[in-house]
Amino acid sequence: MARGRRRTRALVSPRWSVWQQGARLVAGALLLLAGLGGCASLVPQTMALREAWPAGVALSSENTAVPFFPQQDYQCGPAALATVLVAGGVELSPDDLVKSVYLPARQGSLQVEMLAAPRRYGRVSYPLAPRFDALLQEVAAGNPVVVLQDNGVGPLVNWHYAVVVGFDYPAGELYLRSGETRRLAVPFTVFEYTWKRGGYWAMVALPPERIPVSADAAGYLAAVAAMERVAAPEAALLAYATALRRWPDNATASIGLANRQYAQGALAAAEATLRQALAQHPDAVPVLNNLAQVLSDLGRNDEALALLDRALGAQASPAAGPFVAAVRETRALVLQRMGRSR
Amino acid sequence: MNSAFKKMMCRFLAVALITLPFQTGQASMISTDQVSSAATVQANRSLVLNHLNRAQTVNEFQALGLDAQQARDRVAAMTDEEVGNLAGQINAVPAGGDGLVALILVVFFIWYFAFRR
Repeated sequence: MARGRRRTRALVSPRWSVWQQGARLVAGALLLLAGLGGCASLVPQTMALREAWPAGVALSSENTAVPFFPQQDYQCGPAALATVLVAGGVELSPDDLVKSVYLPARQGSLQVEMLAAPRRYGRVSYPLAPRFDALLQEVAAGNPVVVLQDNGVGPLVNWHYAVVVGFDYPAGELYLRSGETRRLAVPFTVFEYTWKRGGYWAMVALPPERIPVSADAAGYLAAVAAMERVAAPEAALLAYATALRRWPDNATASIGLANRQYAQGALAAAEATLRQALAQHPDAVPVLNNLAQVLSDLGRNDEALALLDRALGAQASPAAGPFVAAVRETRALVLQRMGRSR
Repeated sequence: MNSAFKKMMCRFLAVALITLPFQTGQASMISTDQVSSAATVQANRSLVLNHLNRAQTVNEFQALGLDAQQARDRVAAMTDEEVGNLAGQINAVPAGGDGLVALILVVFFIWYFAFRR
């Protein structure tokens, strides 16, 4: 009996439930206050800019040379993409892009396709870090940035692509090529409010000889490798060569450049590139393997075999793991060319 | 005895299937794609998965009104990772289309008179 009563009290005591309701009310009121009063939570990055403006970025900047294509129907994706591609020297119109980025049934364009389409034109699509400082750095460097905005209010969702071409922080405005407006001035606060709901998504699509100023090496080289799938080989070669100048000790950039040189039949150039990489990364298994392949093609199988044995010796390191099978295959090929079986 | 042998055989085959790599049959250069994605697990099983994802995405594109050739071309321009993220999500991800300035004006006026930066 006593046990039963205690349990009942613990579960449905009127005093407890009143207290609980009160606590919910207080929590709700606090949340509402935080939402109304704390603009920091609505536009956190704009608030952060008040504390610290990104180092090395001018307070105002605008690239007036960026062209403008008024959007037709729901085709802000093709229009925004044409804006950045034409600014980067590609000759096309938004209509040329409709077939590669517009989805009729969705009446819009997907982010992944906005990234994929420029690759066919030999442009490197690079998604920016989801931060104001990355966006401002690119715009200040003269690189127009495609952004995804949600222009809806409350529960309404209204996805839209626009191109940021400039900003004036003292005036508190960003300048966009947007919809049918050539130069739309949007306050930083409003812009962040619309930009936030898409996860601060932004991208640039630049010619291979121009690396985004905010790019990191790994992300940029992945972007170049993605372009290499569908672009003209010369564009990838130029992109890797440029990346190697910006990040001289990056092994991936060296391998990328050497692979393009190898594909072109420029074996001596590929060897030079890989030797330089090997001097900086003596245990890099892909460098050893690819250099061995190049040397073998040049008829220097003895040197190739020595490098492959060195690669298999280095395989104890965890980074070698994925490439061991490739090294064994290359070794078998070299041995075959030497007329040996072991 | 016979059953024990079968069990052992099964275990051996299961382990062999998992651990033995697929033969690509091409002794050559390690590709840049392989090197730059080596940090994110580049397992052989992802080859199979990737083919399935691409086929699925092409189908989904066709269902959304693209012709077969366009759908294939568009999927071909995506990386394995991009296709992996998109497959099965094509109707859930944002599709930017509208440029209704009327809606932005509502927000604009709310904020314009409050503060701009």
